[in-house]
Amino acid sequence: MIAIYKRELKSFYGGMMGYLLDAFFILVGGLYFTAVNLQGGYSYFSYTLYNTCFVFLIFVPVLTMRSFAEERHNKTDQLLLTSPVSLGRIVMGKYLALMTVFVLPLAVLSVCPLLLRIGGEFSNLSNYSAIFGYFLLGAACIAIGMFVSSLTENQIIAVLGTFAILLLTYLMSGIRTLFTTGSSLALIVFTVLLLVISLLVGLNSKSLSLGCMVFVLGGAVLLALFKLKSAALTTAFSGLLGYLSIFDPFQNFVGDLFSITSIVYYLSVAGLFLFLTGQSLEKRRWN
Amino acid sequence: MIKVEHLTKRYGNHYAIEDLSFTVEEGKIYGLLGPNGAGKSTTMNIITGYISATSGTVTVDGHDILEEPSAARACIGYLPEIPPLYMDMTPREYLNFAGELKGMKKAARKEQIQRVMDRTGIAEMADRLIKHLSKGYKQRVGLAGALMGSPKVIILDEPTVGLDPAQVIGIRELIRDLGKTHTVILSSHILSEVQAVCDQVLIISGGHLTAQGTPEELSQRLSGKTALNLTALGSLEKVRAVVEGVEKIGEILEAHEENGETSLKVEIPSGQDLRAELSAALAGAGCPVTALATETLSLEDIFLQLTEGENAAGQQEEEPAAADQEQEEETKE
Repeated sequence: MIAIYKRELKSFYGGMMGYLLDAFFILVGGLYFTAVNLQGGYSYFSYTLYNTCFVFLIFVPVLTMRSFAEERHNKTDQLLLTSPVSLGRIVMGKYLALMTVFVLPLAVLSVCPLLLRIGGEFSNLSNYSAIFGYFLLGAACIAIGMFVSSLTENQIIAVLGTFAILLLTYLMSGIRTLFTTGSSLALIVFTVLLLVISLLVGLNSKSLSLGCMVFVLGGAVLLALFKLKSAALTTAFSGLLGYLSIFDPFQNFVGDLFSITSIVYYLSVAGLFLFLTGQSLEKRRWN
Repeated sequence: MIKVEHLTKRYGNHYAIEDLSFTVEEGKIYGLLGPNGAGKSTTMNIITGYISATSGTVTVDGHDILEEPSAARACIGYLPEIPPLYMDMTPREYLNFAGELKGMKKAARKEQIQRVMDRTGIAEMADRLIKHLSKGYKQRVGLAGALMGSPKVIILDEPTVGLDPAQVIGIRELIRDLGKTHTVILSSHILSEVQAVCDQVLIISGGHLTAQGTPEELSQRLSGKTALNLTALGSLEKVRAVVEGVEKIGEILEAHEENGETSLKVEIPSGQDLRAELSAALAGAGCPVTALATETLSLEDIFLQLTEGENAAGQQEEEPAAADQEQEEETKE
């Protein structure tokens, strides 16, 4: 694991990529810090972080695109996958290296709240809890990007795929407000979702009847809900979209807040996608 | 050392390998021989754990490749068809990385890197970037990587492809040298290479094991059979008809006509000498024989016969091969 971590870091900082990414991150962070905190006079560094969330849309896809796609393209994954190192360690080694490339500029930006103290006496606790939240947000995004990279051997597809997913989640809070009225739409979306799930169940178990049964049972439940408690369906739909909005929980850190729910959410997302990355590599073996 | 049992790999409806079983003993050099697409790389990828078989088991040094993957892979050094090299590293860094993956300690790594580089002759390239090296050197760096950690088994997929003749000889010598201390499995579609290097040959064709044995055994299997190279004046049809009319004659392997002369290659059953009958028959039919020579079938011919499914001779040959396999399996048990 340490070997993979070191190699990955060296490949980032042996060339331009690592420095460029980190410079970009610090540049945007620094610009917003100057505008919001130094000129705007706010003592909350979290405002700066909140405004620079869009950085992840560019930073993360470029950071993660190579991780597994390049290995597969150059066939170097054969070296890793036939070595005595377990799959979980390979994934963790890569992930920790990516996280390091992300944490370094974040550490530089962590100096900013200290600079603010020149202007006056106040507690920096909320600022550092916001930086912690920002770190978790990045951890989740990087896990998603790494997963996308493990699906393809084409780096362009990896970078565009990650960008598309992150953009969608970035805009999700806006999209969500469009769907607050009308439960019939929610019914349709849930039905499509159910259809996909039933198909997956049917295909994985290789049993048509099981797939049909899941669909019929689920459909009955949905229809009953629609007839009896249509409001519940809309709420559930909106809640579902809420879970997909990865940037929203970070808002809970903005201001004087600290949110356990958000921490759990981000750790779950990161864990889930690390697990899926391992699964996607394992699946490749079986194809 | 390695036990492969009933290995099958299916891609959709296509079987890359089907019901492949063989055993690899310690301290020998094995050659997987077969035409392109016969399933050599697939077999090697399964043994090394890069891909999984649809069914069947592989045991390396007593460790099942699925149940104890790390222990099994720790025994293996693998050089795939395309060497898995990181272009932005130097050979020294690469070997260090390969050693780290194998879990070697730092001091042992440093010492072995030097040894492996000397052995593969890449010491003078140690600090250049791999992307600037020639194909021959890249191949050797890949081989050096497979040697890191002194694995018990070294698996090489087409180790000499794309190298110039001098490099091919160098690599072969290295492989023979490795065979003294390691178990080596290499694959090749070049017969002479396998013949020159290997103690045991496994011929794979269409995903099946068609023959197995030492190079000598394999050529002996057909040593009873000889072929006659015959040239006679006359048209192809005429000569052919006359030759086929001779009693006890075997199959005509090759035939072509040039300037009114016909050349044939005819198989002769073991223990027979039909030269006199043949020339008499041809002379009687007005086709004087201008050349006649006996030839023992080489391993090359066996290989061609075994791997060409549509060849009738190949079909005949598969039976003794299968019988041999059964015998070998019996002795194993």
